[in-house]
Amino acid sequence: MSQTRTTTTTVMPPVPNREDLEATWKYLEAGVSKIMSNLQEGMDMTTYMGVYTAVHNFCTSQKAVSNHSGVIGGAHRGAHLLGEDLYQNLITYLNGYLSELVATSKTHSDEALLAFYIREWDRYTTAAKYINHLFRYLNRHWVKREMDEGKKNIYDVYTLHLVQWRLTLFSAVHDKVMDAVLKMVEKQRHGETIEHSQIKSIVDSFVSLGLDEADPTKSTLDVYRFNFERPFLEATKQFYQAESKQFVAENSIVEYMKKAEIRLDEEEERVNMYLHQDIIVPLKKCCNTALIADHSAILRDEFQVLLDNDRYDDMQRMYNLLSRIPDGLDPLRAKFEAHVRKAGLAAVAKVAVDADKLEPKVYVDALLEIHTQYQGLVKQAFKDEPEFTRSLDNACREFVNRNQVCKSGSNKSPELLAKYTDALLKKSATGAEEHDLENTLTQIMTVFKYIEDKDVFQKFYSRMLARRLVHTSSSSDDAETSMISKLKEACGYEYTNKLQRMFQDMQISKDLNSGFKEFEAGLIEPGDDKPVDASYAILGTGFWPLNPPNTDFTPPAEIAKAYERFQTFYNQKHSGRKLTWLWQLCKGEVKVNYPKNMKTPYTFQVSTYQMAVLLLFNENDKNSYDDIAKATQLQADVLDPALGIFLKAKVLNMSGDGDDKPGPGKMFSLNYDFKSKKIRVNLNIAVKSEQKQEVDDTHKTIEEDRKLLMQSAIVRIMKARKKMKHTQLVSECISQIRSRFVPKIPDIKKCIDILLEKEYLERLDDDELGYLA
Amino acid sequence: MSEGTVTKLTLVANDGQKMQVDRQVAEKSVLIKNMLDDLGDDAMLSAEIPIPNVNDTVLKKVIEWCEHHKADPAASNDDDSDSRKKTTDIDEWDQKFMQVDQEMLFEIILASNYLDIKPLLDVGCKTVANMIKGKSPEEIRKTFNITNDFTPEEEEQIRRENEWAEDR
Repeated sequence: MSQTRTTTTTVMPPVPNREDLEATWKYLEAGVSKIMSNLQEGMDMTTYMGVYTAVHNFCTSQKAVSNHSGVIGGAHRGAHLLGEDLYQNLITYLNGYLSELVATSKTHSDEALLAFYIREWDRYTTAAKYINHLFRYLNRHWVKREMDEGKKNIYDVYTLHLVQWRLTLFSAVHDKVMDAVLKMVEKQRHGETIEHSQIKSIVDSFVSLGLDEADPTKSTLDVYRFNFERPFLEATKQFYQAESKQFVAENSIVEYMKKAEIRLDEEEERVNMYLHQDIIVPLKKCCNTALIADHSAILRDEFQVLLDNDRYDDMQRMYNLLSRIPDGLDPLRAKFEAHVRKAGLAAVAKVAVDADKLEPKVYVDALLEIHTQYQGLVKQAFKDEPEFTRSLDNACREFVNRNQVCKSGSNKSPELLAKYTDALLKKSATGAEEHDLENTLTQIMTVFKYIEDKDVFQKFYSRMLARRLVHTSSSSDDAETSMISKLKEACGYEYTNKLQRMFQDMQISKDLNSGFKEFEAGLIEPGDDKPVDASYAILGTGFWPLNPPNTDFTPPAEIAKAYERFQTFYNQKHSGRKLTWLWQLCKGEVKVNYPKNMKTPYTFQVSTYQMAVLLLFNENDKNSYDDIAKATQLQADVLDPALGIFLKAKVLNMSGDGDDKPGPGKMFSLNYDFKSKKIRVNLNIAVKSEQKQEVDDTHKTIEEDRKLLMQSAIVRIMKARKKMKHTQLVSECISQIRSRFVPKIPDIKKCIDILLEKEYLERLDDDELGYLA
Repeated sequence: MSEGTVTKLTLVANDGQKMQVDRQVAEKSVLIKNMLDDLGDDAMLSAEIPIPNVNDTVLKKVIEWCEHHKADPAASNDDDSDSRKKTTDIDEWDQKFMQVDQEMLFEIILASNYLDIKPLLDVGCKTVANMIKGKSPEEIRKTFNITNDFTPEEEEQIRRENEWAEDR
């Protein structure tokens, strides 16, 4: 078979007789050998056409188109097609040729073997392309017919070449070839430069050999996967297992992470450089296992150290590594959450040395600082991953609601937060820039998000808003609206409904006041005193967290006329509405012109109660406690503090027996020697005890409101469900109310009992409750 | 091969006659196209292309067809495309082209089979098919000058076996 391979000058045998198989094959073999061995010398057209024609002629010889004799009754395959002999001869030739190559390959090893394999592969496949064309007539007819008839193991001539290569040569050398490849790759992993185009050629060759047995027109990666990918992955695994084990033993974890990162990048690069894309996923998995998963325990142990030392870059590195393996990050998240919680508690503990005097700003800032710090960490090191954000949220919710300051109950946080917001929104000397204010409000919302008892915040906030509106002490309407819309966004319309109505009331009152001015002007007759310059605010009872005064009060005659006029005016406008005067919130200014040594008259800013007291001194310089109480009708708990402020400011002097507190039997006299550096003197100061009282009241109303909220939730649920198990009702109730506060189960049970008593619900069998319409 | 430049090829029929053909025309033959692709431009320019199985007259006729159809889109590789199989329609020019004596018709079919010019082979076969269509065996024998060498028994057997295909 090899005689023609070694002849360099190929002389083609004579053109064969078309019916003579032996002569035809002899001619074809010469042509095929020439192509296999000496293609580089080129080929002339005569030979090319000759070989093609010989194939054609043989297949169309009379023997083949034997017309009808003997066909009748035989297999109904129509015309008998010749060609099998050529096909079989070609196989025999290829086997011989390839066996010889196998023998030659034994003299090579390693890189030389690779070079040999690649050279021969290129030569062989190029030749196969030619021969495929030359045997095209065979392909078109005999092979096509065989394949149409479902014969197995018949391929077009090109594929036949590949099949024979796989059977004869590949099966004999692929192990050695792979060894050589793996050696080269290992060299490269050790930093040597290799000619990686060789490996790429090997990969391409292995891929080409994958033929789908079921459908020869399709290719599969089976051959490549089994003979290349599998050993490659195994070698990779072993290499990195060994390397990482040693490296970890000799270096720090951080150093190891850097090394592993580099290695992983290298392997990815390797795929792009010379491997088949198919290996990406399994190779990644293999490397991830050997480099990361096998060491995940010690990596995670290091995480706490990195957290403690704020090593953002290294944490990012660890995140990137562990994110590559399944469930790699869960333990990290748990540690992160615990760490943030601890940091939060520590930060609170630092500022909470004296919980009673804790400044709201200091407290909220402490909370925010921790949040900002770790949100930054999540962003920088953990790619803002939602799971880590959730861990952060969990931790924050934990330390915002349960910390040293909240020992008595979680409602301290919302209270302080509301107070801080109030401080921000109130007019103050150090008015913050509009922009800064907006930012701070956004930060407040960050903390607000974590607050569990949102109803507590709401209560405090609405009280403080009421005060800001009534006393017109808001720093900016825009900031107020912005804050309300933020709350609305976070908690929905219902949560801010009342707040918005309060705002509206103030707006309506403004219009009302100008209407009243006109009304009043028309009322005045010549000779009347100039009316008191006053403004009024109408506050809807249901929306404002305000109560009627808890003391009787007779307004001083000086303002009585004005307020009676307003009442008339209002009744004309809206008949049937009842006005309740909230005297405790009213205030005014009085001009004083009695003190001696005074250049310009002082102006006192006073509450209406104080005003009533002061005006009594227009008649007499001295008044007894009882006279005052009688004239104003004020109760002692309101009157005494009002007087107390006058005494403290030295507006009045007190005389009488006993202690220095105002009370029955004391006499009060105007202090003509009153002096003040300021011309406007603010005497309308809230007393500490009042504030404390207010906080306690707020907490009390919260408790009341919660009971109502729980009861209404229970009724709502039962109305929808009609019947429900006790435990189910409780859990449903919790889930409905959760957005406002976290109800305690005994409280819910208490509410259920109340509803049973009121006969909204009834007890049924089997621990079930029923709804009574 | 750069576009636009028309490369001339020389084809040599088996009786030694040479003819110049545009490369684009010659490449209607898959055989010639493959050979040019395989051997490269050098071989093509330097040598004449021998066509050992086709004589001058037939080759001329085939080239004429190729000239006319040179702008046709390359036939889809799908040999089984239904439209080609089912229809016996032949376009007008091809019908005229095929109005030759029977011997020439068969020579064209053989040449197109050899040169691997599928569309021409189809036209040839369709032409023959149209000649057979609607004729009785006797008429067909007459058309193609075939002597009936079946025995009556053989003929009966074939008729029975193919009964299902008869028009009724």
